[in-house]
Amino acid sequence: MKALEVHNISKMFPGNLANDNISFSVEKGEIFAIVGENGAGKSTLMNIIYGIYTPTAGEIYVNEQKARIRSAEDAIQLHMGMVHQEFMLIPRFTVAQNIVVGDEPRKGIFFDYTRAVREVKELSDKVALTVDATAITGDLPVGVQQRVEILKVLRRGAEILIFDEPTAVLTPEETQELFVTMRKLQSQGKTILFISHKLKEVMDIADRIAVLRRGKVQGIVNKKDTNEEELARMMVGRNVVLEIPKVEASVGPVAFSCHDLRVKNARGMETVRDISFDVRGGEIVGIAGVQGNGQDELVNAMIGFTRPTSGSMELNGKSMRLVTTAELRRQGMSYITEDRARRGLVMPYTVRDNSVMGQHLNAPFSRGLRMNYDKIAEFAEGKVREYDIRPGDVLDTAGSLSGGNQQKLILARELSLPHNFLIASQPTRGLDVGATEFVYRKLLEEKKSGKAILLISLELSEILGLSDRILVMFEGHIVGETTPDKTTEEALGLLMLGVGVDRKVVS
Amino acid sequence: MSENSGTNKFLRIFGIDNQGRKRRDPLNVWVPLISIGLALVVGMIVIAVSGRNPFRAYALLFGDSGLIPGGSAWPREFAELLIKSAMYIATGLAVALAFKGGLFNIGAEGQFWVGAIVATFFGYWSPVAGAFGTMATALGSMAWIAQLLHGAICIILGMFAGGAWAAFAGFLYVKRGVNIVIGTIMLNWIAWFLITNWLVTGPMTPPTQTFTSGTYYVADTAKLFRIMMPTRLNTSIILVLLAAYATWFLLYKTTIGYEIRAIGHTANIGMEAPKAQGINVNRRIVQMMFFSGCLAALGGCFFILGMQYQFPNTATMGYGWTGIGVALIGQSEPIGVVLAGLFIGALRTGATSMQVANIPKTFSNIIEGLAVGFIALQVAVRYYLVKYLQRRRAHADPPAEQEAAA
Ligand SMILES: Nc1ncnc2c1ncn2[C@@H]1O[C@H](COP(=O)(O)OP(=O)(O)OP(=O)(O)O)[C@@H](O)[C@H]1O
Ligand SMILES: [Mg+2]
Repeated sequence: MKALEVHNISKMFPGNLANDNISFSVEKGEIFAIVGENGAGKSTLMNIIYGIYTPTAGEIYVNEQKARIRSAEDAIQLHMGMVHQEFMLIPRFTVAQNIVVGDEPRKGIFFDYTRAVREVKELSDKVALTVDATAITGDLPVGVQQRVEILKVLRRGAEILIFDEPTAVLTPEETQELFVTMRKLQSQGKTILFISHKLKEVMDIADRIAVLRRGKVQGIVNKKDTNEEELARMMVGRNVVLEIPKVEASVGPVAFSCHDLRVKNARGMETVRDISFDVRGGEIVGIAGVQGNGQDELVNAMIGFTRPTSGSMELNGKSMRLVTTAELRRQGMSYITEDRARRGLVMPYTVRDNSVMGQHLNAPFSRGLRMNYDKIAEFAEGKVREYDIRPGDVLDTAGSLSGGNQQKLILARELSLPHNFLIASQPTRGLDVGATEFVYRKLLEEKKSGKAILLISLELSEILGLSDRILVMFEGHIVGETTPDKTTEEALGLLMLGVGVDRKVVS
Repeated sequence: MSENSGTNKFLRIFGIDNQGRKRRDPLNVWVPLISIGLALVVGMIVIAVSGRNPFRAYALLFGDSGLIPGGSAWPREFAELLIKSAMYIATGLAVALAFKGGLFNIGAEGQFWVGAIVATFFGYWSPVAGAFGTMATALGSMAWIAQLLHGAICIILGMFAGGAWAAFAGFLYVKRGVNIVIGTIMLNWIAWFLITNWLVTGPMTPPTQTFTSGTYYVADTAKLFRIMMPTRLNTSIILVLLAAYATWFLLYKTTIGYEIRAIGHTANIGMEAPKAQGINVNRRIVQMMFFSGCLAALGGCFFILGMQYQFPNTATMGYGWTGIGVALIGQSEPIGVVLAGLFIGALRTGATSMQVANIPKTFSNIIEGLAVGFIALQVAVRYYLVKYLQRRRAHADPPAEQEAAA
């Protein structure tokens, strides 16, 4: 039986056809993957199926019946569920509270917590997804939070599950666990729509794969009959080789260094402990580590968001003590963040206005107090072309760009700032293969031109391919330093999990 | 999906729409108009239910509001409309500017009165007033130069004082984490009691007076020019239009405005983006509060130098509160604030006449309150409007366009 059919769906945004006559059908119990370049229209399509957007044209059938989906509530009624990438969970709540919120069991008019916990346990046993119902959600690793999100969707009776880039925030291990979960759900007859930019993952989990390109279905293939290269070619329209060339650059003076750095997180826990390292011009230093091992707090201290509790940092030989973010940026620090929505861009601002934030006080973007929006537009148009930011109208809001194009915009802005030290925090998160290749090329160009780069990534292949030196972070410590030719993904993976680390050092 | 639904849904609850393009959104015009329309309709029902004739009431209200030219009373009504509106526009701009930066400056009231009292002081204080008096006599037929200068000095100092008053709340907010709403409310009451219970009944009252009747009167040179004799109309309306233009220019043409709006757009999510891009958020917030206070204080200067010529001991609060409504109805855009200020000014001017139809003149407050209420419900209004537009479009012909807000 067909669980979901999409007939001739089109979606027109002003001046931009995001979905162009898309049709496909998904069998019940199938894992159906959708791949495509940044801005190909994947999220738009999912949002249409889930009722968040209304299509300009086309029809949707659920269980072979014509469906009227006008809102997410309608979609839930039709037993659909969407697992959001940025979880809608309340960190202070327990797992059980989060799962039942919005549809709580009651005793009289009061929330019946005991029953909530029981219900969650029953559900998690039934679908074989283990969670600790009484744990505080905010304390759980990202992968487990995602599981909570999945349970929440299942509790509302979802039979068709939509995952839009669920693996972007996960470590390789967590991704494998997610796949185990997905297969379990599949064996229980659930239908899954899955979006990812990582073709390896798609080849691993999907039964069939639809390739979108510029809003159109480029083809629908069986996993058995295809391979990564073919998918990449269908997506981009040319051969892509994600090989990272070796670039030699002469190592220059130290651009950034820190000594015995200790930083506390927002909740007062010390999450960076006694870290010392330096980054020189012309080299890429990679920081490998499972998310939540102090990388965020390290970056926050480096960009002047939080004060270290002890230790020191220097930028180009000058102490960074009590220096503001604005001053650090003037002194040559650029920063690519993975948190596009909160930290990277002002979403309601246009591409134009976002493109110069940070250098808007420099000529020619402003003179005295006066902004020169014409010059800024000119600059933005140049960057849009250079970085292939689509759809390419500089008066679009950043919020209307697809995730990958938002990332490109950040990259364009940060690399065009005058700088000699770049912090690149997960710079390819959510990018398609073509764009990832582009970012790698840009980073290597940076290195070649003598810039110092600190690369923080969860992607081991990225760390190994780009870095000159690799530091491994675990529980706030640097537990190892190595070079790509002296290590392997497996060895790094183990170090990241703290295996073989001297416990005395860590505690 | 993260970018495309999670955060956005959250932001949309606050009326901030991430989706779609930065094209002029017609809803920004329709939402206030519909809200006002609804308020008028509900007002009508209220009048009808209380057994009076709503049509007669509205005929009186708008007939005497100064909006409709004609009749012998019209010039006076028109002048009253503009005088009142100038003050509401000033406080409305103050609140709107802070809204744009993501802050609720509920203290326009206090800043208004601080501006008023400082303008009063420099209006009568003999070293200043005397100097300009001498100057005016010396200039003879060119005495208007002295009036221009003295008035300007009073206004500038009044605005500065109001700005400083507001900036202090901004300072407490960024340095001490004192919530801006609480900080500005506190400063409202401090200003109000200091002024009415002490200054106006003590140090600033003429000693010869045996009863308290407000402060000294300001010198003639401090008064605003009258521009439509014999009515009371003065230059305040022109000055406030300049202020509205300046506010628009500040917001949309300057580096400060660029930063202020970036801060405002991200205020709900910690302002991380502007901070990370090196914008000095704290400094901008204090500056913005300063400008906001200046605008509110400008209204206070009008109150003294254009209407009362002294600080009366009968002054009642309300100009700043009204400014909040004006900013909301005007959707925090300077041009919208001007229009909304004129509308409220008209209501207040016409309201007195409604007493003929047995309706208390505070009735206009009900309309205002309702309009603001409907604006506050703008999420709902927007929602139904979008639904309606969608349905109509679906009836018309399918392709081509998309909904304004998904
Ligand atoms: N609300 C909107 N308003 C205007 N244009 C939009 C809106 N949402 C998406 N678009 C445009 O539609 C196109 C498809 O975007 P979509 O988010 O679906 O891409 P995607 O395939 O999910 O890309 P990514 O892999 O980068 O997330 C893009 O060109 C985007 O700019
Ligand atoms: Mg997407």
